[in-house]
Amino acid sequence: MIDTKTQETQKTREHLASAASTEVIIDFNKVNKWYGDFHVLKDIDLTVHQGERIVICGPSGSGKSTLIRCMNHLEEHQSGSIVIDDITLNKNLKNIDHIRTEVGMVFQNFNLFPHLTILENLTLGPKWVRKISKVEAQATAMKYLERVNIPEQADKFPGQLSGGQQQRVAIARSLCMNPKIMLFDEPTSALDPEMIKEVLDVMIELADTGMTMVVVTHEMGFAKIVADRIIFMDEGVIVEENDPNEFFHNPQHERTKEFLSQIL
Amino acid sequence: MAIIKTTKKSALSPPVSETSPIGWMRKHLFSSTFNSLLTIVTIYIIYITIKEVWVWGIADAVWVADTRRECFNISADGACWAGVISWLDSIFYGRYPREELWRINLGLLFLFIWMAPLWLPRVKAKISIGLTTVFLYPFLAGYLFSGGDKGIFMQIMFTAAIVCLLGNTAHSVIGVLTGRSLPEFLIRRFGNKNASEKSQRYILLGILVLSLVAVYVWQMDWKVEGVPWTRWGGLFLTLVIAGIGIASALPGGIILALGRRSRMPLVRVFSTSFIELFRSVPLITVLFMATTMFPLFMPDGFALNKLVQVIIAVCLFNACYIAEIVRGGLQTIPKGQFEGAHTVGLGYWSTMGLIVMPQALKNMIPNIVGNFISLLKDTTLVSIIGLFDVLGMLRSVGKDLPWLGLHKEPLVFGAIMFFLICFVMSKYSRHLEVKLSTDHKN
Repeated sequence: MIDTKTQETQKTREHLASAASTEVIIDFNKVNKWYGDFHVLKDIDLTVHQGERIVICGPSGSGKSTLIRCMNHLEEHQSGSIVIDDITLNKNLKNIDHIRTEVGMVFQNFNLFPHLTILENLTLGPKWVRKISKVEAQATAMKYLERVNIPEQADKFPGQLSGGQQQRVAIARSLCMNPKIMLFDEPTSALDPEMIKEVLDVMIELADTGMTMVVVTHEMGFAKIVADRIIFMDEGVIVEENDPNEFFHNPQHERTKEFLSQIL
Repeated sequence: MAIIKTTKKSALSPPVSETSPIGWMRKHLFSSTFNSLLTIVTIYIIYITIKEVWVWGIADAVWVADTRRECFNISADGACWAGVISWLDSIFYGRYPREELWRINLGLLFLFIWMAPLWLPRVKAKISIGLTTVFLYPFLAGYLFSGGDKGIFMQIMFTAAIVCLLGNTAHSVIGVLTGRSLPEFLIRRFGNKNASEKSQRYILLGILVLSLVAVYVWQMDWKVEGVPWTRWGGLFLTLVIAGIGIASALPGGIILALGRRSRMPLVRVFSTSFIELFRSVPLITVLFMATTMFPLFMPDGFALNKLVQVIIAVCLFNACYIAEIVRGGLQTIPKGQFEGAHTVGLGYWSTMGLIVMPQALKNMIPNIVGNFISLLKDTTLVSIIGLFDVLGMLRSVGKDLPWLGLHKEPLVFGAIMFFLICFVMSKYSRHLEVKLSTDHKN
């Protein structure tokens, strides 16, 4: 079912050329995290280069959302080190605030601000965090709204938009901060099948611009087009890590084979 | 076999029972014998109640008389409104000197002028207007009401308030006429187009300082006679206490609520115990504590007047209630809103101020206004500790020699007054709720 929805994009698009450079932008070193007694992330080692596009998949409860949420410190890790854009994430609030301005994030439930118009949602960060003038912020916002194909909705409230439109606004909101990295936490899981495509198209276009992207998703069609590398997680461990071609056609691990057989 | 519909089905007009008044009555009032009986009994009860009230309060009432005895002679069964009318000034203003009443009226007029722009759609910068109402207007009104010699602090604040009032009024008039703010208007009208933004800002600042100095010099010689707080009373005193209580309870409550949710244990414990302490004690006890116990803890020679003590007590008491309401509102905000705010880089205070509080307060408008209404009504308790608020004045009518024993009418009048004020507040809160709603769920 999921696959048929992305078939069109799959058919029309070849795998995007990799934009990865040699510069490391995300570096996880032996990261561990517990929720109470529960060990969610076990000795995670992960390196992402600038311009690289990573897709993380795995069964629910495997820790993939937690992993991605550690990248902008929405979750706190208890041991190991996380270095984002040469800044180490620790208890230093200044570092965290700085990282968050450089890392955009898109959530499953959009998390738009319902009391503000679309335009205000987009200009909030630039105006209050980047201290850009209102006029300039609005111009940037309109530019990105056009890029996600909904400039005509600028003065509406999030509650008046469809799920797919809201998610595209959320992507535009993150882009307005001009981030170096974009994180996507199951961006299409809360959407109707008809709306998944419009969001994925926007994400593919974004990938085409050379943005560093880390995407948690079950959209394997999307992964095939966009991913430079696919990471498969299970029970808090990175089980397998490979380029998409190898990953889909020649999975190494038993658990990966089982997962792929269920999802494809 | 496949069924394919090719034509549209047109809508029929609804049956009579759905639209006509008779159909409505049959459906809602007389749907069964028992319901018909209930309807008739209810209508009868409403009829006799209204009739009694009408006869006592209007038809048989006495409006012009000099004493209660005269009222009786004219009509024994009707209300004696003449007593209320002759006491009207006292009910509204207490024992405030009659020749100085213009100061109270002027103060209220200023409040109206100050706040009116909040309801005018074209006026900009409504938040600053609201904030100055809370932080500057009290000094203007405070001096007008109490008068006497101004200390240096009072002089400064009074000056700032007057300049703000003037600027505010000009800003609103310009806003209504042109849709621009005052600085924008000044720059467009008189400014040099080639001047940089920075120099324009300096000029505006200069104008502000100049007007502050001018008003300061003017007000040094301007003085009104002092009126001691013991002469304040009536509805005026009630509104002063309730007004200050309302204006300070919201910011105080927000701070306490944030304190209670703080991650710092000391702040949290302090806020929690403060809130719980005040919430578990009746207001009347807090008032007694404030007026009798509080002076005992203060160093010698440090004396606040009773009115100030009462106002502080009312403010703290209500801040605690508002704090719990705000905390409830904060809990309705999903975690995703905080995360969304964090990911666009907002820190704690901007997240709270721009994202969380606007939504939480909007959700809590009915509760907050409900609290304000009960605050207004609760202020009548101060009559017990010897302040002549509106209830105190209403009860003195019956102790006045010409009107001895006239208790019912003043209290009914008071009830009508309170009803009107509270009803307006409640209607306004409903209006705000609808106006501010952006969730588009309904």
